[in-house]
Amino acid sequence: MNKYIALVGTNSDKSTNRELLQFMKRHYADQADIEVVEIKGLPVFNKPDNMKVPDAALAIADKIDQSDGVIISTPEYDHSVPAALMNALEWLSYGIHPFVDKPVMITGSSYGALGSSRAQGHLRIILDSPELRARIMPSSEFLLDHSLQAFDDDGNLLDQDKLSKLDGLFADFQTFVGLAKQLNHATSINRQEASDYSWDKQ
Amino acid sequence: MKLVGIAGSVADHSYNRMLLKFIANHFSDTVDLEILDINDVPMFNQSDDQTDSEPIAYLTRKISQADGVIIATPEHNHTLTASLKSVIEWLSFNVHPFSDKPVMIVGASYYDQGSSRAQLMLRQILESPGVNAIVMPGNEFLLADVKQAFDENDNLKDANTVKFLGSTLDKFVKFVRVINMLNEPQPTSAEDEDLTASSKIDTTVEGVDMGADDWVEQAAKKVNAVEGDTYVKLDRGLLTVDQLNAFLNSMPIELTYADSNNQFIYYNHMLPADKMLAPRTPAQAGDPMSMVHPARAVKHVKEVIHMLRTGQRDEIKMPVPGNGPDKYILHAYRAMRDSENKYLGINEYVEDLMPMIKWYLAKTGQKLVDDPDAVTGASAEAADASTGASSADEQAVAPATTPTTPETDASTGASEDEEEPTSVASAEPTSASTETAADSEPDDVTGASEDE
Repeated sequence: MNKYIALVGTNSDKSTNRELLQFMKRHYADQADIEVVEIKGLPVFNKPDNMKVPDAALAIADKIDQSDGVIISTPEYDHSVPAALMNALEWLSYGIHPFVDKPVMITGSSYGALGSSRAQGHLRIILDSPELRARIMPSSEFLLDHSLQAFDDDGNLLDQDKLSKLDGLFADFQTFVGLAKQLNHATSINRQEASDYSWDKQ
Repeated sequence: MKLVGIAGSVADHSYNRMLLKFIANHFSDTVDLEILDINDVPMFNQSDDQTDSEPIAYLTRKISQADGVIIATPEHNHTLTASLKSVIEWLSFNVHPFSDKPVMIVGASYYDQGSSRAQLMLRQILESPGVNAIVMPGNEFLLADVKQAFDENDNLKDANTVKFLGSTLDKFVKFVRVINMLNEPQPTSAEDEDLTASSKIDTTVEGVDMGADDWVEQAAKKVNAVEGDTYVKLDRGLLTVDQLNAFLNSMPIELTYADSNNQFIYYNHMLPADKMLAPRTPAQAGDPMSMVHPARAVKHVKEVIHMLRTGQRDEIKMPVPGNGPDKYILHAYRAMRDSENKYLGINEYVEDLMPMIKWYLAKTGQKLVDDPDAVTGASAEAADASTGASSADEQAVAPATTPTTPETDASTGASEDEEEPTSVASAEPTSASTETAADSEPDDVTGASEDE
């Protein structure tokens, strides 16, 4: 059974993205082992000269290293990814490279009608950067709009069409992870290039 | 022009901060750029609101007061830094200092991309509805290969780069002017002038009742105003507050300051009200204009303010009629503007011209001779209009009855009047008496004024 790390893309106490990932953990429990991981509490990334990454970020990196893939669920602030998630990804690419060639599935929810579409596009660009080099599942998008009304009292997705779409995308992700494991011929080079990429003073 | 700069990096050594410092130093003739510190801003968290914390309140205040903002962004992971994004999230959550604020984006990076992706994303973020900044289009300034870009004194080495940066900055200065002109609350007609001063300008002291008798004391406390022997730097000179008061109170004219929000905030208090040509009392300072004018004067006061605000006139002169041959009291309203030509308010000065005229005649051995053709009607008309006329508000009424402009002769007076219904401003007795002497007929003038 594949092991996935599900990153909650916000530090907020109340989050429908967290609800979505917790729902996926329960709903797909017979297909995969999903661990919901928080990014809250990381210090503001300040590019320290000594390359010291906080222990909390190292712990997340370790979990990602040992996983078969990562699911990130992002809200949208100001048409883009929240600073808290950007901050986590900065630490997770500063001298450490847990995301290189790691399969990633992106989901997102929003209170309004757009379901974090712009933030998801932004997140793809970030994950594709030379410091991260994640293997983002292509041609897939799960946008949960009007998320405050999306779950019942037990935290289950109400909309059956949305659920069918999520089921389909998750099955695709399982396949994609299997495929990604075979796309490993350049992994060591990619890892080397990511670590060679200089975070020189910008 | 007052700008603030934000470097999108909290790293100890940042080339983007260096770039802003270079702009601040090298182009100090063009802009006054203050670089803001974002180092102590906590990570944004919507469930832990720290909008009122010092680092965020400081940024909110500085950005609100600035004419424009320059943001220098590095690029991490194909995008802007989380530290900069966090700042923007705080400043679009419960406060919105970027709203309608002109912003220029620049960026420096180690690689040849020069932060192009980060700049593009930053632009989209700044234009999102919660932030609502107005980002200058085009004019991308991307500084690539920064490690080689600066000399040992932190100056940009390449002359062409400096030249391009300078021309981009010049365009931004124009952009800021245009955008801030759009933002300026501009009453579109005289009726829209708000004499109750209910809106707010940068200098309005909030939280103090404008109508309070001790408004000056309350407002001074609120803003920690200096007084006594504290020095104030002026253009051009240096005086203590005591010296400044002595200077203004010894002027041979009565001075009044009404700001662009139509609040009466100062007069030179040299005499008790009953000895003044236009009486003011200490308790009136701070009053909105609506409180110092009777209702019947409101229409004309609004017209005067509007013409000065919109630049139709730089100065409007109104004589107080009916004081007999030994007194000629003149009220003049002069628009005050800053170096960017932005309207700051009205300088009203009141003086009696006759002592000066008599002095001049005595010194030059001349005397006044009546010229019946030149009388502008104002003096005749005003006799009844201005019995108790001793304050500016009432003057706004009396001279309004004189539609004669210096260029206007009797035959064209009527049409001029239609084109310029706000002819309250046109009473200029001195020029009228010289320039319209030939054609002006007292009856015509009086007739027109009765129409009003």
